[in-house]
Amino acid sequence: MRSAFSVCGMGDWKAMKRGKGLLRGKMPLGTMLDICLQALQALRDNRLRTTLSILGITVGIAAVMTVGAVSEGGRHLIFTELQTFGLKTIWIYREPAEKDPRKAVRSGTGIENADYEAVKNARCWAVKKISPVVLAKGEVLLVRNGHRYSNAQITGASADYLAISNDTLQKGRSMRDEDIARNRPVAIIGSDVQKDLFTNDMDSIGRKIRIGGKNVTVIGLLGDKHHDFLSSIGSAGGNANSRIILPYTYLQQMRGNNEITYFQIETSGLADTDAAVSQLKEILKRRHGERFSYKAETMAQYIKTTENILRSVTAIGIIAASVSLFVGGMGIMNIMSTSVVERTREIGIRKALGASRSDILTQFLFEAMLISLLGGTLGLLLGIAVGYGLAIATGMPLTPSWLSVMIALIVSILVGVISGYYPAFRAAGLKPVEALRYE
Amino acid sequence: MIRLANICKHYLLGEVVLSILKGVTLHIAPGEFVAIMGPSGSGKSTLLNIIGCLDVANNGAYHLDEIPVTHLVDDELSNIRRTKLGFVFQMYNLIPRISALRNVELPLVYAGIAPQERKRRAFEALERVNLADRAGHIPAQLSGGQQQRVAIARALVNEPSVIIADEPTGSLDSVVSAEIMDVFTTLHGQGKTIIMVTHEENIAGYAQRILRLRDGRLESDEKR
Repeated sequence: MRSAFSVCGMGDWKAMKRGKGLLRGKMPLGTMLDICLQALQALRDNRLRTTLSILGITVGIAAVMTVGAVSEGGRHLIFTELQTFGLKTIWIYREPAEKDPRKAVRSGTGIENADYEAVKNARCWAVKKISPVVLAKGEVLLVRNGHRYSNAQITGASADYLAISNDTLQKGRSMRDEDIARNRPVAIIGSDVQKDLFTNDMDSIGRKIRIGGKNVTVIGLLGDKHHDFLSSIGSAGGNANSRIILPYTYLQQMRGNNEITYFQIETSGLADTDAAVSQLKEILKRRHGERFSYKAETMAQYIKTTENILRSVTAIGIIAASVSLFVGGMGIMNIMSTSVVERTREIGIRKALGASRSDILTQFLFEAMLISLLGGTLGLLLGIAVGYGLAIATGMPLTPSWLSVMIALIVSILVGVISGYYPAFRAAGLKPVEALRYE
Repeated sequence: MIRLANICKHYLLGEVVLSILKGVTLHIAPGEFVAIMGPSGSGKSTLLNIIGCLDVANNGAYHLDEIPVTHLVDDELSNIRRTKLGFVFQMYNLIPRISALRNVELPLVYAGIAPQERKRRAFEALERVNLADRAGHIPAQLSGGQQQRVAIARALVNEPSVIIADEPTGSLDSVVSAEIMDVFTTLHGQGKTIIMVTHEENIAGYAQRILRLRDGRLESDEKR
């Protein structure tokens, strides 16, 4: 035992007189750590209550994460489908919803072979490839092979068509320019048409099928295309695996006219769609004057539209999920307020022993942050698990990004700080005499 | 070292002003052992709280080691309590969930002392009150007298110049009370200033100086 106690702190009283010097500027790291450990201890003492508030945040963060993951997955899915058509694709056709009655009264598609020649000769820089497309629409062209029938979409096109629409061949060959020039009766068929017209083990290449009463030789089999989501959109619609592609000249010959339903174009670059559209419209207008008006569809347009829809759906989902996060935050505020009231006397003791406002504030704020950070981490894991579960169940590609992980953690810390601040502030402001008197 | 001049304290109870201290003037020199007595409602606890910087006076001047305490704000008062004062309460006021040693360490935590040094000093303080063997026990595992000794160790650990004791034996039987008062006597012998509120004459008898309060005023001041 020491013989005498020194009179402590006499040296620093000058600093104290200056007033400001009394406030400790920066909390030492050890003190900080200790206050944090005390917070941990307090949470352990109220295990059930702590668990429940952690759960509140867990559910909130998991909900937000899941909505984020689903919308991200959906965007990925749709983008992948759109890519199967080629991102640089545009379609140009006669305005189907013509408002001007003087134009509406005219029949026809408004595009003919001479227009195609004119476009080809114009050598527009924004247009890389162009194919006329003739659809055998609204007329009965029966497709059969013996007693087997198919309800296929009959498409007349040029040799460039497959490249423009991102189609591949499983077997056989593509159409050649001479097939087009000589109106040859050749066809490339989709896999569903193959199933309709041939038995499983039969090779269709080189065989003849009947289209509209004429013999047509199968020269190629199209690669499969999957796009369930897009099957209902615009001219991209229809079952892509149930197509028969013929030389457009041969289809025109069967129909007895030289009308083209639409042009399908691949632009030189992703940014050139607008230029290509205006160049083509310009040529058509020069040739037909004011007789028709034309409409262009671009893949970029589709992408923008679907992105807009997805963004609103995501926003609504995030808002809905945020409500549960908000409720979780209220839970923390509630539990911390209760905790402050319960521990009023303890706060009084701590202040009597020299704890500053910021010591008390730190302790309670840290408790709140710990609850919400724990909840956030669990919610993150749960969210990722749910995401993988959904990915396995639906086949959607789900990719939890580092960004969303970071955001989830930052948001949960923020929720803790915001909801813990008021109770902590109240605790820090307690007067020691009154707090000590509290029973 | 402690100079009180015309200290007044009143509370507002709704519209009624309740005057507790009506001008107390007092000097306490370093190393004194002072007992404050008086009937309940005389203001003795309020006076002790003001001296202990737990409460502030409405009027008058209080200098502790030449520091004008009456002009300080909350955090500055915390700082004074942390560096110059040690507290012993009637109900011990230990934090229930943590060990005796951790309780004694608390003032050092807020003083920003490193953990190793803190543990050493807390243990040393427990040795002074003969409780080193109970360092790992939580308060509920200790008797009233032992808890009060832990509280005294906690009051000592920061090496304060003044020990403030509010009815330190109020919850203890006479045998244990005597033990606790022996600890205070020893501390006084080691040069500590002790200011204690009590309503028991025999406890007050341990002090060298007895202040008696009545109706918020100093009634008598006897030195022995």
